[in-house]
Amino acid sequence: MSEPQRQHPVAALTKALDVIRGNFITILILLFIGGGDEDILLAYWILGMAVILLVWGVVSWYRFSFQVAEGELRIEQGVFVRKKLYLTSDRIQVIDISAGVIQRLFGLVAVEIKTAGSSSKEAKISALTRQEAETLKAQLRRVINQAEGAEPRGREGEAGERIEETEPRKSYAIAPRDLLIAATTSGRMGVALSLVGAGFSQIDQVVSDERMVRFIENNIPQSTSASLIVLSITAVLVISWVFSFLSALIAYYDFKVEVREKELVISQGLFERTQLTVPFNRIQAVQIKEELMRQPFGYASLVIESAGYGESEGNSTTLFPLIKREKMYDFLEEVLPEYNVAIEGEDDHAPPLRALRRYLLRMLWWSLPFILIFWAIFPSYGLYGLVLLVPALLLGYQQYRDAAIRTEDHTIVLRARLLSKRTAIVKKYRMQATTLKQNPFQSRLQLRDFTLHVASGNQGRSFTVRDLDEGDAGRFWAWMLHEPLSASGGKKRSPGDNGNDAESLSFSEDT
Amino acid sequence: MRTSPKHKLSKSAIKAWRISTLIFMLFLFLVPLTLWMYSYFGDGQLSLWLIIAITVLLVVVAALVILFVPEVRWQRWSYQVDKHEVDLQSGIFIITRTLVPIKRVQHVDTRQGPILRSYGLADVTISTAATTHRIPALNEETAEQMRDQISKFARLAKEDV
Repeated sequence: MSEPQRQHPVAALTKALDVIRGNFITILILLFIGGGDEDILLAYWILGMAVILLVWGVVSWYRFSFQVAEGELRIEQGVFVRKKLYLTSDRIQVIDISAGVIQRLFGLVAVEIKTAGSSSKEAKISALTRQEAETLKAQLRRVINQAEGAEPRGREGEAGERIEETEPRKSYAIAPRDLLIAATTSGRMGVALSLVGAGFSQIDQVVSDERMVRFIENNIPQSTSASLIVLSITAVLVISWVFSFLSALIAYYDFKVEVREKELVISQGLFERTQLTVPFNRIQAVQIKEELMRQPFGYASLVIESAGYGESEGNSTTLFPLIKREKMYDFLEEVLPEYNVAIEGEDDHAPPLRALRRYLLRMLWWSLPFILIFWAIFPSYGLYGLVLLVPALLLGYQQYRDAAIRTEDHTIVLRARLLSKRTAIVKKYRMQATTLKQNPFQSRLQLRDFTLHVASGNQGRSFTVRDLDEGDAGRFWAWMLHEPLSASGGKKRSPGDNGNDAESLSFSEDT
Repeated sequence: MRTSPKHKLSKSAIKAWRISTLIFMLFLFLVPLTLWMYSYFGDGQLSLWLIIAITVLLVVVAALVILFVPEVRWQRWSYQVDKHEVDLQSGIFIITRTLVPIKRVQHVDTRQGPILRSYGLADVTISTAATTHRIPALNEETAEQMRDQISKFARLAKEDV
């Protein structure tokens, strides 16, 4: 219980910046329209807009208040339209404390409260002192724990619980060497590549072709067009690698996982330090990713899927960016003992040999467009494009080798590869649905694709193993129904239940 | 692998689907129509034969899609609901078989567009935390009965824990 409270005045500034960030394009357009040709006018425009934004920020800071009362977080905000947001305790799933550049300048933090099924950013308190934030978090956490019945109601000692909350049982940090390896081999290359590519295509518009050619000719005396192409491709690759290296380094800097009584706290980031709290009971699945560039060195990264938050990375969160495969089991044992199961074993059910040709053919179809494009660009070297088939078919073969599925007690493990090898570990009681798919070609070979759905973020996430034997696939498909479905264990269904059709629906569809 | 689910959709689903496909196809005919308008009112560059060819092709495709697809779709669709699970099978070329434990069901609702309503049909939509499944074109009463049953089963299954 607390009095209505305002944020730190710096919130006015962050609000103004948020508006700029959110309306970047509009502002650019406005600038172009308003600015016209005269520089002074443009300056006035910018100044005017800055003032308006600041005033807006101050007013919205003034109109924003929050309090914790009767087990609810109550936020009131809005300059013209008053919005009241009441978050009931049992809806709150994640409390994120982060610090952006602005917050760090003033030694403040931002608190974001996330609930299931809503991606609204409204429950964001953008400037608080660290202490205020911790108090708020403690207040809300206590309420959450109460609501979930994890703590006996009525007589919990406040002080005792606080200590429990703040003292991590174990904590893991990434070693500097591992951080460098992680950044070097980070798979962000693709994103960076497209960014740099887009950048390069924009250069055309700024610098005229002629000037560029002259510039290149002056600097690189004997350049033929072929070496020019090779050179620019190399340049794009190097620049994007540097980008990906830096972005991974910034993102994973000082990565730390703390294991607490009921939750994991993941903090990371160089400039923008984010702290993510994931309660154990929200974790839906664990994924082990072995990227193409990391696998040869025996490294993998761990990702958790959890319900109710996360937006950028497809609703999954990095649990640890880089870990040696041998150390992985120990790590899982300490952090998420429930998910420490053997991911390979003799009882693996892999696709049968007759599925191999489907794996190979699939990669053949995928590589065909690339070969044809290559052929179209370099008609005289067209046949060399066929060299692409070699890695494609090898990848197909490796996909076939890696695909497997196994169960252990109440856990199912799915392995599959697209480019990176992914191993998903899912608890039976977290499985939301299973799907089998069969197209006419698979039907002839008696194969089926198996897909498993788990909750993750607002939508779900699915894991697929392709071309399993019909019988195997069918068995895993129905596996989640056998025995207890619940976490609390205990056989609730007697075997005789299965045959009891008295309660099953019988519909008649007479027309 | 167990056998296909027991129950079929309502027979009148085929008629309802035909009508909705027809409406969709009518929109596709806007393409040759726009082309024709363009060449008629604008400076006619396009050959009339091309437009006629596109139209004929569309008519043939539409006829096939309207005549056969709903029929096949109906034949492939089957479902079964009991107090433990929802079992669905569907698909025209790719056969999809889905299993949802009743316990995972978060909510069920019935939906009815104007076409379905005129045939006394309704869709049942079953949502879990991760997925949404639709059983299309059931009799209104069946749909409502099923909605209530599933939600009852789901409640029972959860209390069971």
